[in-house]
Amino acid sequence: MNAVRILVCFKVTPDYEALREADWVAGEGGGAHGSGAAGGGTGAASRVETRYVPRILDCFDESALEMALRMREAAAGGTVPVELGAISIGGKEVERHLKTLQALGYERVTRVDTDADLDFAPTVTASIIARYVENTNNTDLLMLGWRSGPHDGGTVPFLVAEELGWPCLTQVTEVVVLSSDRVRVAHVVDDGVLRVTVRLPCVLGVGNAVVARLRVPTLTDRLAQRGAPVERVQGGDLGIDVAAELAREASVLADLEVIRRDRPGVIVGGESPREKAQTLFDSCLKSMIEKL
Amino acid sequence: MRSLAVVDGTVGTAARQARALGGFLREGSSGHGAAETLVLYRDECDVGRLVEQAPTRGVRLVKTAGGRPDAIVGILAALARDEGCRLFIFAGGYSGTESATRLAHRTGGAVVTDALSIEVGSDRLLCRRHVYSKHMVGRFELSASPWCVSIDVSWGDAQTAAALEHVVLSATDETGTAAEVDETRFEDLELTQSTPTGDLAQSRFLVVAGAGAGSREGVERVAAAARRMGADFGVSRPVAMSAWAPVDRLVGVSGTRTAPELCVVVGVSGAPALYWGIEKAGFIAAIDLDERAPIAKSADAVILDDGVMVIEELAKIIASSRE
Amino acid sequence: MSLRRATIVEGLQHILGADSVVTDERILKESSIDRFRMFEDIHGVYTQPIPAAVAMARSTEQVAGVLRFANEHGINVVARTGRTATEGGLETAVPDSVVLDGSGMNQILAIDAYNMQATCQCGVPLQVLEDRVREHGLTTGHSPQSKPLAHMGGLTATRSIGQLSTLYGGIEDMIVGLEAVFPDGTVTRIKNVPRRAVGPDIRHVIIGNEGTLCYITEVTVKLFPYLPENNIFLGYTVDTMKTGFEVLREVMVNGYRPSVARLYDPADGAYHFAHFVPEGLSVLIFVAEGPAGIAKATAEGIEAIVAQHPECRQVESRYISTWFADLNWGPDKIAREREDILQTGNINRTTEVSGDWGCINDIYENALRRIIEEIPDITMAGGHSSHSYINGTNMYFNYFYNVVDCGPEEEVTKYHTPINRIICEETLRYGGAIVHHHGLGKARTPWVRDEYGSSYYILEGLKRAFDPKGIMNKGTIIPA
Ligand SMILES: Cc1cc2nc3c(=O)[nH]c(=O)nc-3n(C[C@H](O)[C@H](O)[C@H](O)COP(=O)(O)OP(=O)(O)OC[C@H]3O[C@@H](n4cnc5c(N)ncnc54)[C@H](O)[C@@H]3O)c2cc1C
Repeated sequence: MNAVRILVCFKVTPDYEALREADWVAGEGGGAHGSGAAGGGTGAASRVETRYVPRILDCFDESALEMALRMREAAAGGTVPVELGAISIGGKEVERHLKTLQALGYERVTRVDTDADLDFAPTVTASIIARYVENTNNTDLLMLGWRSGPHDGGTVPFLVAEELGWPCLTQVTEVVVLSSDRVRVAHVVDDGVLRVTVRLPCVLGVGNAVVARLRVPTLTDRLAQRGAPVERVQGGDLGIDVAAELAREASVLADLEVIRRDRPGVIVGGESPREKAQTLFDSCLKSMIEKL
Repeated sequence: MRSLAVVDGTVGTAARQARALGGFLREGSSGHGAAETLVLYRDECDVGRLVEQAPTRGVRLVKTAGGRPDAIVGILAALARDEGCRLFIFAGGYSGTESATRLAHRTGGAVVTDALSIEVGSDRLLCRRHVYSKHMVGRFELSASPWCVSIDVSWGDAQTAAALEHVVLSATDETGTAAEVDETRFEDLELTQSTPTGDLAQSRFLVVAGAGAGSREGVERVAAAARRMGADFGVSRPVAMSAWAPVDRLVGVSGTRTAPELCVVVGVSGAPALYWGIEKAGFIAAIDLDERAPIAKSADAVILDDGVMVIEELAKIIASSRE
Repeated sequence: MSLRRATIVEGLQHILGADSVVTDERILKESSIDRFRMFEDIHGVYTQPIPAAVAMARSTEQVAGVLRFANEHGINVVARTGRTATEGGLETAVPDSVVLDGSGMNQILAIDAYNMQATCQCGVPLQVLEDRVREHGLTTGHSPQSKPLAHMGGLTATRSIGQLSTLYGGIEDMIVGLEAVFPDGTVTRIKNVPRRAVGPDIRHVIIGNEGTLCYITEVTVKLFPYLPENNIFLGYTVDTMKTGFEVLREVMVNGYRPSVARLYDPADGAYHFAHFVPEGLSVLIFVAEGPAGIAKATAEGIEAIVAQHPECRQVESRYISTWFADLNWGPDKIAREREDILQTGNINRTTEVSGDWGCINDIYENALRRIIEEIPDITMAGGHSSHSYINGTNMYFNYFYNVVDCGPEEEVTKYHTPINRIICEETLRYGGAIVHHHGLGKARTPWVRDEYGSSYYILEGLKRAFDPKGIMNKGTIIPA
């Protein structure tokens, strides 16, 4: 029986929750990949300084990584073998996560080595992924977060699918491997939840799945995989000149606006919870509630 | 014809798409949006209604074999090629994103999704959209055309405009045009229909509990207080994900976008992902211990105190005022 | 003879009013534990005796009333305020206990900017007090990670310590005076004076009692000028923990008092610093604060000491200040943690001990080696030193494990207790202290006799004298 070969793409992003309110301004450039000098935008005005906060797995990508592990476990009960690969585009910071995935049982892990700032370059990202899939020719099912990173545009899964000529479903919440060439997918569409059986190959963009967190390998798991190789690929190996592609990106982030969410924020005073609640009620809620 | 709004009439959300596009064309595109609407329909559609709902006077009807969003992209690509159509505007959401993205790819144009507004220039399209998890708005410049724009789902809140006198400019039958992606690869389709937003979207009086409620007990006490004061009850993502409340109560980016007249938030820090779900509220009262939480600046009234205690007091006061 | 639940509830209602006595089953279950059994809680499994009621006290008189009632009828009372306890201090070890909750006693009674002291009730969250005194340009100097959640009563009762302790000290250095209620209902007040020599310092009977001797109703703490604009953040990578401890020691011994002096080992550090620290290195962190001249001199002194150790390499200080700004745990992080545990079965635990400079590295190395060798399913084991003194420092062991092949109710016995045992054994072997700041709770009582040695006599005497009927938090500090 042929194995289903799953490749999960993931992005390592700054943990925005670790940024303070005051940090949300257009900064000195940065992005996930350091200096951001190679950015597709127009520099300082179009990036928030995120260099100083920790990196985490983008949340939907993290879902996809765990879903793939569970798909293998569920499929293993039957007759279908599943092989897992993971790929990320980025600098050295990515390797820590690739090592973790190896310890969790991902057989192939790959870093596309670039320090180019691809934060707002979905087209370049998609073509790197597509070229990798084409060149290696060993992927049946490509999974990734349905949207990710600071750009959060939701276009990458469809762009990859276009490049490969594969079907694509996004906002995927559940996947089950049925056979070596079919998966059953639940995904959210505009008017409900659509369940569909898809003949592979295909691209799945993982959305708000119940499975949201990646399991954690033990020290023993890590030790067992200590010497396992991480594949490193350059843009050039895939026939891509990343800098040139970046310069061609047709949709460019020019600058950033701080969002003003200001409302009056009038502090309601009082000695006790009771008194404060009463003041709030008397001064504004009473009349509003009467009208409801 | 230089620009088109696209309504996919083959799916159940056509009315919503049309309303959102109408709002966007009036308020989000400084009047330079689409001049005409392209309505895709299938045999079984009520074409009359689709035309009536269209967001522009001029309507072009295209009959398709329907199916997946991908099927319509080929038709639109042909329009771009043959008629020099330069701007396509899709309603937000799942199919809008897919159509805009695939169309841009096939035509060599540029895509932007979740547009808050656009400005059409002679050789550039400027578009504002949220970036950095709704912490910021980015201004994007699109060079290569056609510009394929899907609009932000918040345009779904738009009011229905005054009725237009529609003119059907053309009607074509494209049922023969094959989709690029092989439809036979999808089997056993099974749609469980739902309004994705549930009842919270209709709420007029809403109480939202955040992680500041502290525990399952705290969250349940807030829920009970909400019931007592006759309000609907929602929660932030952390509360739902720690299984302190059902996921269908979720307010914010990954849940429901609400627009109540009155919204009381309890122990909600005010992170953008949550705030987006209540920003349309007429009045926001926040109860929180932390005066430095962002919510203190983005609420109309703020009580600095234990959220659970205050909401329980408030519930008593409101309940007794009703007696 | 103990009363039946219904009678207990009735008695409490009589003292507090019906509204203030909680008997909801779910709430009672969640009130039978603290974070020590968080894994059980997350899975909805409760193994401890369920309390008869949660009593919400609003005044010292009510506290006295409840204690008198309990004392008369032999009912076990568990004091509680902020509920962030990590060591089982809030577990109701005896059936039909009463949880006496002081979170409603949340008034700040005085902020005296001239005499530099503030007085508040036990249920005031530290964050609230800190925010209020900052309006006067002052600070409490107390900054435990749980600052947004923990209350002044609990913080006093556990002998808590904050992240700025190297300058401001632990809570015991901050408390000026207090009010506490003893089991027979006696209300005692210790007045606020700069210092006195009128016999033993009886504040220390109350501070750190973990609800086993008395109920703390009010505290007065010192205030300090708040001068964040002078803060200088310093960070270094260092090749080995041994050198790191050496640098910490030299900073302390040479008379410098940074507010923060921390040393992270590579495993623990990776959780915070992987975005700027290469794998395998330890990290040293200092914050110099105070009046500008002192902050500057402190930073310069530290830099000079570090310069003597070529293996230390400085990192950009903004990494440190950014990290520091996001260190505290509010409700969002608690919720996020629950989600993680629920989904992955991976849980984070900590055990904090102390030792002098001569042994701390041995405690660190041996305990860690044994944890990794002896305990299954460990996903991370490491630690940091975060509170230094002239004669030694603490070690905060930080470890994660996957809970597998056992029920939620076995998590503590299968993993947490064996790890605590290793750490306590190694600490005792080298002459350190088995608890640095979380309190003994119930989790570490098996080693309390060895910890105290001959001085256990004094501890037992205190218990006999102030809680002769043994109704205060049975099983905490003194083994049941
Ligand atoms: C995320 C996190 C970070 C933490 N960081 C730190 C830290 O940096 N430093 C530190 O020292 N601790 C820390 N802790 C531990 C904890 O916050 C402290 O022990 C704190 O002092 C407990 O205060 P509380 O109000 O939450 O007390 P509770 O949890 O309510 O009670 C703690 C103990 O004190 C007793 N008690 C409570 N109130 C009274 C009272 N009024 N009278 C008598 N006894 C009482 C209880 O019976 C119990 O034994 C942390 C905990 C968490 C969860």
